[in-house]
Amino acid sequence: MADAVFLALTVITIGSAIAALEMRSLIYGSIALMGTLGGIAGFFFLLDAPFVALFQLAVYVGSIAVLILFTVMLVKRELIFKKIEDRKRKFAGIGLMLVVMVSLGAVFLDSGIKTITTDEPAVDFRDIGTDFVTYYWPALILMGLILAGSVTGALVLARREDVENDQRVS
Amino acid sequence: MSVIAPNFKLSEFIKSIIDDVVWTILILSLIGLPAIMMVLFVIPMPVIDGELLTPFLAFTYLADPTRTLPIVQAFMTTDMFKIMAFPGFGFAALIAAGTIFIERKMLAKLQLRVGPFYCGKVEGILQLMGDGLKLISKEIIIPAKADKPIFWAAPVLFVASAAAFVALIPVAPGWVVADVDMGLLGVFAVIGFFPIVTILSAWSANSKFPFIGGIRALFQMVSFEIPLILSLLGVVMVTGTLNLSEIAASQSSFPWIVFLPVGAIVFFITMLAELERIPFDLPEAESEIVAGWLTELSGMMYGLVQLGTYLKLYAFAALFVVLFLGGWNGPMIVPPFPMEIATHGMEMGPVTVKIGGLAPILSQTITQEMLNGTLWFVLKTVGVIFFILLPRGVFPRIRIDMLLNLGWTKLIGLAFVNIFIALALVYAGVLGPGGLQ
Repeated sequence: MADAVFLALTVITIGSAIAALEMRSLIYGSIALMGTLGGIAGFFFLLDAPFVALFQLAVYVGSIAVLILFTVMLVKRELIFKKIEDRKRKFAGIGLMLVVMVSLGAVFLDSGIKTITTDEPAVDFRDIGTDFVTYYWPALILMGLILAGSVTGALVLARREDVENDQRVS
Repeated sequence: MSVIAPNFKLSEFIKSIIDDVVWTILILSLIGLPAIMMVLFVIPMPVIDGELLTPFLAFTYLADPTRTLPIVQAFMTTDMFKIMAFPGFGFAALIAAGTIFIERKMLAKLQLRVGPFYCGKVEGILQLMGDGLKLISKEIIIPAKADKPIFWAAPVLFVASAAAFVALIPVAPGWVVADVDMGLLGVFAVIGFFPIVTILSAWSANSKFPFIGGIRALFQMVSFEIPLILSLLGVVMVTGTLNLSEIAASQSSFPWIVFLPVGAIVFFITMLAELERIPFDLPEAESEIVAGWLTELSGMMYGLVQLGTYLKLYAFAALFVVLFLGGWNGPMIVPPFPMEIATHGMEMGPVTVKIGGLAPILSQTITQEMLNGTLWFVLKTVGVIFFILLPRGVFPRIRIDMLLNLGWTKLIGLAFVNIFIALALVYAGVLGPGGLQ
C-alpha cells in the first residue's frame, strides 16, 4: 500500500514539476506547480510528519501557489517573455539537473539514511514546540526578527505617499 | 368538453402496464440480481453474531425485518456510512438545505416580505426542492472562450473542498469522519483551497465580471485567513491540542468563549468574510458585478457551487461551536431508552413484540450520549448559523479598502490581544495544568 502510494506520489510530483516547466500556458503551469507542492505534502504524510505536511499544504499550496497564480493572471505573457527555442540550452539544463540530482542523491545515500528505522511512531508536534523554545531558541528568535523585518519592509513599501490623509480609511 | 387524454383506451393502458412489469422483472432478474450478487461478493462483509454475512445470508436476513438490525448496525459503524450519511456529507447537506430555506424565509420576514409561499402550500416548504429540480433540468451553458477543463472542474472542486472541511468536524463523541491528530491544521489547509478554486473558476470563465469578483474573493479570503488562524491559536494554547475532538471534549465544564471572547469575535468576523456573507459579500456583489465570480455558471454548476457554499457555512458554524461553544457538551436532556423493550420485548395486551438486535445497537451505536451530543451540537450550530444569516437583513456592503483595512490592521491586532489573554490565563494558572481544567 505504502509503496503504491509512494510511486503514485512520485509520478505526480515529478510529472507535474516537468509540466510546470514545459507548459505553454502559464496558468496550467502554475496549477502543475500546485500539484508538485501537494505531492511533496503527500511525501511528508508518508514520512509520518503530518504537522509539516499540513503546513506545506496551508502555506505552499494555499498561499504561495495562489500568489504565483494571481501574479500570472495579471500579466500578459507576450509582453514579458520572448520565446527562445535553443536545443543546446535545453540539453545543458537537463544535464545540469542530472548532475545536481546525482550529487544530492550521493550525499543522501552517504548520510546513513539506509540505517534509519522506519517503524518509528510519528513525532509529537508538542516535542517540536518544546525543541523550538529550548535548544533551538536562537533560531526561533532569528526567524521572528527576519519575519518582523520583512513585514515592516512590506508595510513601508505598501505605504503610498500620494494618498492624502483624509482619503485614508480611518 | 376537453379531456386530458382523448385517445385513452383502458385495454391499451393495462397492456402498457403489463409490458412495463414484464420488462422490469426480466431486466431485474437478468442484470439486476447478478449485479447485486457480484457487488455483494466484492464488498468485504461484516461478521454478525459470529457468522460471516454472506450474500445468501444477507438475502435471508432481508426477508425477515427483525433480523436486519444487526446489518444496519454493522453498516453504521463503517467508514462509508460516516462519510456519506451521519457526521459527513448527508447530515451536512441536510443542514445546508435547511439553512437555505430558513435564510430566504427569515430574510423575507426581516424585510416585511412574504418569501417563498406557494410551493408546497404550507409557507413554501417545497420551494427548495423546486429550485433544485429547476437547476438540475436547466441547460449548462459554457462561455465560448472559456477555458473548459478548469471551468468544468471548478464547481466540483469547490464542493470537494467543502466536503473535506465537513469531514473534519466532530459531531458527537466518536462521531467524526476523519479523527486526525492535526484536525485544526487540516482545517487551515482546507481553507487555503477555497481561494484557489474561486480564482481558477473566475479566470477560466474568461469574462470581466467573474474575474473582478474572483480577484475580490482572493483578496478577501487570503487576507482574512491570517486573523482567522491567529484567532484560533488562543484555543490551541489553552487546550494544548490540535485535535478537534479533544478540543470539544475539553469544554465539558465551560466553553472557551467565556475566557476568550475576543478570539471568538475575531473568528466570527473573519468567518463572515471567508463565507462571503453580507457585509463582506464583495465577490458576489449583485448590484455592482452581476453575481461576481458566479456570473457565468449556469444550471447545476451553479447549484454545485451553492451547495458547496452552504456546506462551507455549516462547517464554519460547526467549527465555531467546536472551538468556542463546547461542541457536543451540554446537560443530558435525552431520556434513556427503556431497555426492557429491547431485552424483554414490548407487551401489548396478550401480544409481546420482541425485536432482536435492538439491545446491541442501542448500547453500542445509537447511545444516549450520541443522541444528546448530536442534539446539543445541532442546536448550537443552528444558533451560530442564525447569527451568520442575521447581518444580511441588517447591514449594507462595505468597500473593498475598508474590508482589507479591517482585516489587516484591526482584526490581526485583536487576534494578538486574544493570544496574550490566552497566555496570561495559562501562565497565571487559571487554565491548564493545576488550573480549572
